[in-house]
Amino acid sequence: MFRWLNGPGAAFRDPLPGSTNYLNAYDPQGNLIRARAAPKSTDRDDPKSTGEEGGLDRPDAGLGRSQLDQNIASGKPMPRETADDLMPFPMNRQFRSQPVLSEELRDEIYRRIDQEKKSVRTVSAELGVEMQRVGAVFRLKTIENQWAQEGKPLATPYARAVNAMLPKTPFISGSRTAPLPHESINDLPVHSATARQLFHPVAESLHFNRASAAKAFSRDLLPADKRIPHPELVELAKVAAQNRGRDDVVKARRNELEKQEAALLNMRREQKAAQEAAAKKIDTPRWQFRFEEIKAESAGKDGRSKGGVGARYGIPPQDRKKGQIKIPTKVE
Amino acid sequence: MVLKIRLARFGKRNAPFYNIVVAQARTARNSKPLEVLGTYDPVPKPPPSGEGKAIKDIKLDTSRAKYWLGVGAQPSDPAWRLLSMIGLLEPKYRGQRVEEEEGR
Repeated sequence: MFRWLNGPGAAFRDPLPGSTNYLNAYDPQGNLIRARAAPKSTDRDDPKSTGEEGGLDRPDAGLGRSQLDQNIASGKPMPRETADDLMPFPMNRQFRSQPVLSEELRDEIYRRIDQEKKSVRTVSAELGVEMQRVGAVFRLKTIENQWAQEGKPLATPYARAVNAMLPKTPFISGSRTAPLPHESINDLPVHSATARQLFHPVAESLHFNRASAAKAFSRDLLPADKRIPHPELVELAKVAAQNRGRDDVVKARRNELEKQEAALLNMRREQKAAQEAAAKKIDTPRWQFRFEEIKAESAGKDGRSKGGVGARYGIPPQDRKKGQIKIPTKVE
Repeated sequence: MVLKIRLARFGKRNAPFYNIVVAQARTARNSKPLEVLGTYDPVPKPPPSGEGKAIKDIKLDTSRAKYWLGVGAQPSDPAWRLLSMIGLLEPKYRGQRVEEEEGR
């Protein structure tokens, strides 16, 4: 055991900075395999330097640890992990570790939503991260900031340790090219109406397209082209086939979306302001009471209508019912 | 029988929430009332701008409240306190009267 620990196993005691450190990435002598394929340093085959660490050494082995450290110190870029390096369990060749968002990328997502006031959809399209994930990152960052303000301890060392072990999607700031996409963002969500097998006879002369297919599944199901998260990307592919300006299309579509969302936000804000203005405010020494005018008739004839105000009679609350999801599902 | 304008407590433990109701005086507190006039949320909400007094929200159908008062419905003490704030009744409680006079 100690022979292994002092020999090939030494690579795992002091993991490489900025890289995953799975068993598969090393050969039996404890040398990093992917460093072999990379541009080599001149003193690569010096048996002394690798011999200190690796014990047994062959001329075609990968780089030993001391050389790697030298390379890192001299500013040589480490080659990225190959798919084979990302297998944490050598016996399970099907399992590849998937990249997580790097801390910088998460900060950038939060900054774009919080400071630049961009919508979740836009940020998702810009950074190549799914909308749900963007929303989750924003919520969690908000909580993190709140905790930091309240002085609650954060598990930062733990997060750092876990992050050091996983492959990450980096964020390179100020790059002119599009950032590295994290995942596929334009997957069609599976709608429960489409989960069944459907035999739908149609006339041969009928022009049966995706919109008709959606109609066949359910009367108010939107066609697939409208249900995907980023329709502008499809538009883009169509335009690319016609060789028109690619960026113009994306920009136009995103501008349009931004405008729509801005209008929606504005409308909500105005509604809120109007409500606020209509309320009667009465100040007591401790509280401000706000009286909002309502219509008692809105509860309906039997008082059970959903439009009514206050607790309704004879209708039990649903919040303890099985299957009720209490986690917020959207970001406002 | 006497009609009352009173509060009916709904909401969960430690999270009170009231319906302002018109009901027969001798019926149970949370029984079905003649009419729901509105709601009263006694849990103060922080002010949206972050400054000033905490806010308590009340929803009320003023015209129906006036009608029921006109036909002789008797507000309970807490209901009187709320209705007097918007001038449907004479203020009855000392704290309120002092505030009113200071305002003038």
